Amino acid sequence: MTQTLFSTTLPNGIVLLGEELPGLESVAVAFHSPAGAIHDGPGRCGLATLSGEMMLRGAGSRSSRRIVEDLEGAGVQWAQTVSMSHASFSGAMVARQLADALPIYADILRRPLLAEEELENARQMVLQNLAGTEDDPAHRAILSLREIHYPSPWGMPSEGLSADVERLTVANVREFVATHVRPRGAIIAIAGRIDWDDFVPRIEQLFGDWNTGAVESVAAGPRGPRVRHVPHDSQQTHIALAWSAPPYHSDDSYEATAALAVLGGGSSSRLFSEVRERRGLCYSVSAGYQTHRDFAMALCYSGTTAARAQETLDVMLAEIRRLPGTIQEAELERVKARAKSALVMQQESSAARAGAIARQWYHLGKVRTLAEELDRYDRLSVRSIEEWLAQHPIADLSVVSLGREPLEVRDAVSA
Amino acid sequence: MRFLREQLDNGLEIIAEVTDGGLSTSIGFFVRTGARDESDDLWGASHFLEHMVFKGTADLSADEINRRFDWMGASANAFTSEEDTVYHAAVLPSQQHEAVDLLARMMRPALRDEDFATEKLVILEEIRMYDDQPPFGADDRCRAAFFGQHPLARSVLGTVESIQALRVEAMREYHRRRYSPGNIVLAATGAVDFAALVESAKRLCGNWQSAETPDRRQSVKAVASDHLDYIVRPTAALEYAVRMTAGPAGDDDDRFAAKLLSVALGDDSGSRLYWSLVDSGDAEHASCHHHDFLDSGLMITQLSCDAADVDPLLTRILDMYRDAATQGISQQEFSQARNKLAGRVVLEGERPRRRLFHVGLEWAHGGVYRSVADNLRIVENLSVADLERVMARWPLDGPGVTVLAGPAGAEPSSPAG
Repeated sequence: MTQTLFSTTLPNGIVLLGEELPGLESVAVAFHSPAGAIHDGPGRCGLATLSGEMMLRGAGSRSSRRIVEDLEGAGVQWAQTVSMSHASFSGAMVARQLADALPIYADILRRPLLAEEELENARQMVLQNLAGTEDDPAHRAILSLREIHYPSPWGMPSEGLSADVERLTVANVREFVATHVRPRGAIIAIAGRIDWDDFVPRIEQLFGDWNTGAVESVAAGPRGPRVRHVPHDSQQTHIALAWSAPPYHSDDSYEATAALAVLGGGSSSRLFSEVRERRGLCYSVSAGYQTHRDFAMALCYSGTTAARAQETLDVMLAEIRRLPGTIQEAELERVKARAKSALVMQQESSAARAGAIARQWYHLGKVRTLAEELDRYDRLSVRSIEEWLAQHPIADLSVVSLGREPLEVRDAVSA
Repeated sequence: MRFLREQLDNGLEIIAEVTDGGLSTSIGFFVRTGARDESDDLWGASHFLEHMVFKGTADLSADEINRRFDWMGASANAFTSEEDTVYHAAVLPSQQHEAVDLLARMMRPALRDEDFATEKLVILEEIRMYDDQPPFGADDRCRAAFFGQHPLARSVLGTVESIQALRVEAMREYHRRRYSPGNIVLAATGAVDFAALVESAKRLCGNWQSAETPDRRQSVKAVASDHLDYIVRPTAALEYAVRMTAGPAGDDDDRFAAKLLSVALGDDSGSRLYWSLVDSGDAEHASCHHHDFLDSGLMITQLSCDAADVDPLLTRILDMYRDAATQGISQQEFSQARNKLAGRVVLEGERPRRRLFHVGLEWAHGGVYRSVADNLRIVENLSVADLERVMARWPLDGPGVTVLAGPAGAEPSSPAG
């Protein structure tokens, strides 16, 4: 499969990335500004999220309402998200609408009004979302796991903490936006039916004279206890486990994620086979990978009736312990087949590709071609994974249980 | 894109929407069976059977099925609703044969006693999982009250009691009756080799025995008066409200206008409910959408907010519906909703995995195929008058069922719905 990728960097530091996807009518564009929640600051957890919400509430000559009407009137499927690293504004649309959509995003990023009269509504919206999170036990278990596993502030919830959000002021928001929504570190990615030679000058015109903000680094603070129980009034107990994994930019992240996929990445994975298929202990069980730029974690999750939760945790731990030295050739072949197939199918979605190329640039400082990625999967072997596991034993697990009763972490994997 | 159709002698239909040069192939078996086809002693059987289909055939174990799907790099799964049970896999085109072969074999499962006993535990976990999650069963309770004695009243998962009481012999008989070839559509989208698909189907499904499948349509007795019910969850952070009123059925041409109306009034962003309730931070979520069945339809309003606010906010929503019905929809909000819906049609049309469900379900329900261009034309031909007619025929502020789940309701206060 031939791939057409583009990239360029504007003098003010904005990185532009593009991928042409033949056969699509749509185009997806995403603006990532380095205004993520790691910059919230002590006692201000939720500032990035509140700021992202405020940026949509009026920008340039457009009112809050007008921004949404103009985007949706052009048929744009838009989204605004704040992660630990970025505040992102994105949209997918029929390609001919792109020229009308770009100036709206330029207003949001460069000329947000951040009006005092919008603050209370925006704050209430953030608080409502936090209340909704309280009722989602699986989500709460994962949030709690991140909190104890990662050093502060990476483990803090990007959604915010109610007590902090209550205290934030419009001055906090304005200062945050002025400091962190800036061209250096920003990535604009576009994929689908694109015309790169038309896109670049449009972006230069809209963003070329943008020169604000300064780069701020964030120091890693302490992390939480290894084991935590979160009391929750539910029939099921939710179990979440984590251990450290190499970040995405590290070449051996392929070995690490392949080992994780053998453990819990598909319906033929060990966790699914043993915990669900053979023992019927739960409906959902899986293993996954989450990465920041400088560190990452492997995580496993399951939710099960309180009475069977201890057995579920014990079996999960046993499967994790059993992994090194036992990976079969056939298991790896299945992992490779799933990964390669998913990579190719991603080319059918402009939004997925716009997200993927931006993510790669953030982590790697370059975009990997599909051929490079497929080749890297081909070079994975049982031996390379086993060697990696031997050098990086799974140790120091963080364990969260959420439910009515705490669980006992017996014989945790702590080599 | 080309549409192709074939039928085997035993009644199995094979359809495909072929995209030349597509990167993937999506395959699905669409079985016309679901919760509405169950009786009291089979409550939850359709969904439980969907799980059992993955537990193996006479010559394939569950492990082998799982391994084969992963081996071919498939994104495979299944779902069960009130009316359909769908088994699907998305693969690279080179794996079409493998995917069809495996799915087709699975349609004739072994339904072994020991697998039935183990999987029963998984189903019970799934029931408890949903019971712990918003809206804490309010949706099922609301539909049960809305449909009363109609078969659509039945929840898909069943209850802990109905699943515990279910016998494997009853499931085997249900499978024999409902998985008859004439009751199944094999659908494919993306880069499909249709001749090979038909060949596979003949070889693998040609000897399937037919059973008689009765017509499933039944008239629905309209809800005559408002009904309000509570599910009390004292420790929930928010109150979750679900309200159902009548809407156009799956064979009613007004269903397209109803979908557009729900975008204008109650989409997740940019709609009347959004600006009034969500943008203001008064509610965590407020939305309206249309859902159609073979012989009936629903307009479903969902609200989540602080328990103390639920009554006034439901009243506000009803006032907004009344206002829309009497004052009409403006041209501006109509155009915004229509362009948004048209954008969704185009974007979804680019994903064979998404198209599979549209193409397969439309065909299974009505024997109708509509291309992406057909769908766009329908959306673009809608007018403000169509939306106003829908509001007159199915008043959103008319009689309906409301169920609240959360801390409210310990002492029922004024009826809100």
